[in-house]
Amino acid sequence: MKFINLLKKELSELINIQMILSLVLTMGIFMILGNVMKSSIDEAIDSTKNVTINISDRDQTDFTKAIEQALLDINDDPDENTSVKLKYFDTTGDDYAKILEDNDINNIVIIPEGFTKKVEADERPNIISVNRMESAATLSNISDGNSSAISLIRDCISSSIASEYNISEEKYDLLEYPVDVTDNTVIDDKSAEISSGSIMAKISIQNMILPIIVFVLIIFTSQMLMNAIANEKIDKTLETLLSAPVSRLAIIGSKMLAAAIIALINAAVFMFGFSFFVSDSTTEVTETAKTAVEGSISMDEAFRQLGISLSTGDYILVGLQLFFTILICLSASLILGALVDDPKKTQNMLMPIMMLAIVPYMISMLADINTLPTPVKLVVYAIPFTHTFTSIPNLMFGHTTLFIFGLIYQILFFIVCIFFALRIFMTDRIFTISLNFGQKNKYKKKKKGAAASDEE
Amino acid sequence: MGNVLEVKELSKQYTKVLAADKVSFEIGEGEIFALIGPNGAGKTTTIRMISTLLTPTSGDAVIAGHSVVNEPEKVRESITYLPDEAGAYKNMTGIKYLRFMAGLFFSDIDDINNSVERAKNICGLGDRLEDKIGSYSRGMIRKLLLSRAVMTKPKLAILDEPTSGLDVLNAIEIRKMIKKMAVEEGMSFLLSSHNMLEIEFVSDRVGIISKGHLMVTGTSAELKERYQAANLEEVFERVVKENEIH
Repeated sequence: MKFINLLKKELSELINIQMILSLVLTMGIFMILGNVMKSSIDEAIDSTKNVTINISDRDQTDFTKAIEQALLDINDDPDENTSVKLKYFDTTGDDYAKILEDNDINNIVIIPEGFTKKVEADERPNIISVNRMESAATLSNISDGNSSAISLIRDCISSSIASEYNISEEKYDLLEYPVDVTDNTVIDDKSAEISSGSIMAKISIQNMILPIIVFVLIIFTSQMLMNAIANEKIDKTLETLLSAPVSRLAIIGSKMLAAAIIALINAAVFMFGFSFFVSDSTTEVTETAKTAVEGSISMDEAFRQLGISLSTGDYILVGLQLFFTILICLSASLILGALVDDPKKTQNMLMPIMMLAIVPYMISMLADINTLPTPVKLVVYAIPFTHTFTSIPNLMFGHTTLFIFGLIYQILFFIVCIFFALRIFMTDRIFTISLNFGQKNKYKKKKKGAAASDEE
Repeated sequence: MGNVLEVKELSKQYTKVLAADKVSFEIGEGEIFALIGPNGAGKTTTIRMISTLLTPTSGDAVIAGHSVVNEPEKVRESITYLPDEAGAYKNMTGIKYLRFMAGLFFSDIDDINNSVERAKNICGLGDRLEDKIGSYSRGMIRKLLLSRAVMTKPKLAILDEPTSGLDVLNAIEIRKMIKKMAVEEGMSFLLSSHNMLEIEFVSDRVGIISKGHLMVTGTSAELKERYQAANLEEVFERVVKENEIH
């Protein structure tokens, strides 16, 4: 009853308009980002299917006109699903910025004078491609209008040269793609007929979600509990609370549980929003990837053959590790929150946890920790959160010993943290403990100064 | 009249400071005892040890038969503590705060309701109890906290600077309320204050503490006679100065 009373109070302190707004905002941001990504990718895919080529033919020969006609002939080819539209422009000089501005376009392909002569002389001709770059944003430059045009022009010239040398279409295809590659990927002693690139593409999308959720969980949980403890100290409500006839374990437990509940709600919102973002922005890409691997085995089948699909037991183990990660956050936050005696220090106190989360998060995203030099590896593995970030890859690639070691290490780390946290809260250290580095230095300086004047 | 509180040679040593040195006194049932002393004399440390918030370095205090050292949880069932400059949860309404605090003392819903009703009558905040505490003035918060401290009818209410932040009229009202509860309900009080007039009016006995030592205890009249002083303020001045010379 008393515990429920405390829990209700803690939850009502944490659930407020700001918190609900931030959740709604988070969802909104992910949805907007997902839509932006989707429309940009759609646009990029559309631009490869409906190609508009701005062209300036400065050579004006039968050969260049034949190329232009060949480009338009693509529209009549039932095997091609690309439609081509040509827009002709008369241009002179090499002030390309002016050419784009005068014609109000963002790209143009210029066939220079003497182009045909070079082809006839069996020399490699030159095409000038001009593209306007308006910003450094990845999405704004995702579709380069000229690249598909130039690729089509190359094909036209190649087939024109092929017909000149009486090379049949089949032989030309053979020249273009002389070898078929059958990709095989091996993990440990298992193999599957699929490229490692396709496996990586699928894993990286999957593995992007968990680290973000873990990161959000760590930061949110820590911040909330630390604020809950620090605010009680700063607002001078802690003394009243701790002098009431309720066990200190109930007080600590209610604060920990409330912070964990809110953190899980936050994580769920992030997970939902992020999966929405990922599904929106990657559906088209995944579809394209599926087409690319058509004829090979399915991705799920490949994962099964390689032994890297996770079983229900694996997911339970990952959940268990996530649970201990949250417990470590909560117990460490209890200690750090107890050290706060000034509102300005609350954010500083979050720094140690933030660093312990960022370092393994970044490293696990960029590199395989096992391949790092031993001293660095030991330091990274000493960070308890590392084992959470590496849990899925470890289980996927059969590094079970490493996973179990990580889990045991996290359990031990939690026991140590909660031991110290309880020692603070069950005794009067909660009122006497504080970090006053500045004051200690001042004290030492004062003492030193006094000693110096005594000597004088 | 039995003793509700017996403080026996209570000491607290911080790293560099001996904040309380073998402090001993007792408070009877229905008695109001005031602890007075200059800033940093050890009043709050002594009060915090009695409230089970600080662990004594040596000595003990027994409240309603329970030791603060060995049975702090039992002690907390018999006391309430109002710290100086205490705050309340700003996002709660006054009434929710009272209900929450009553819920920490009682599990029975009737006991909770009775306590809240009692606090409502004592604090006199009326409809403002429905407003969030964040919108209260300092005086209103103090009245809310005072009513919280006495609503559960503890055997010993420990009030550090009970009337700080209150205007004269409210302070008088609170002093009368404390006296009434002691006389009519047999509730005991341990007070700490800098206001000598208040102490003289409200307390049955006074203890003067200086540099961690409890120098003297007695009724206001006894102390004034012993130190040939016109009022408690003069007694206080002489006791503190005497201790500084020693």
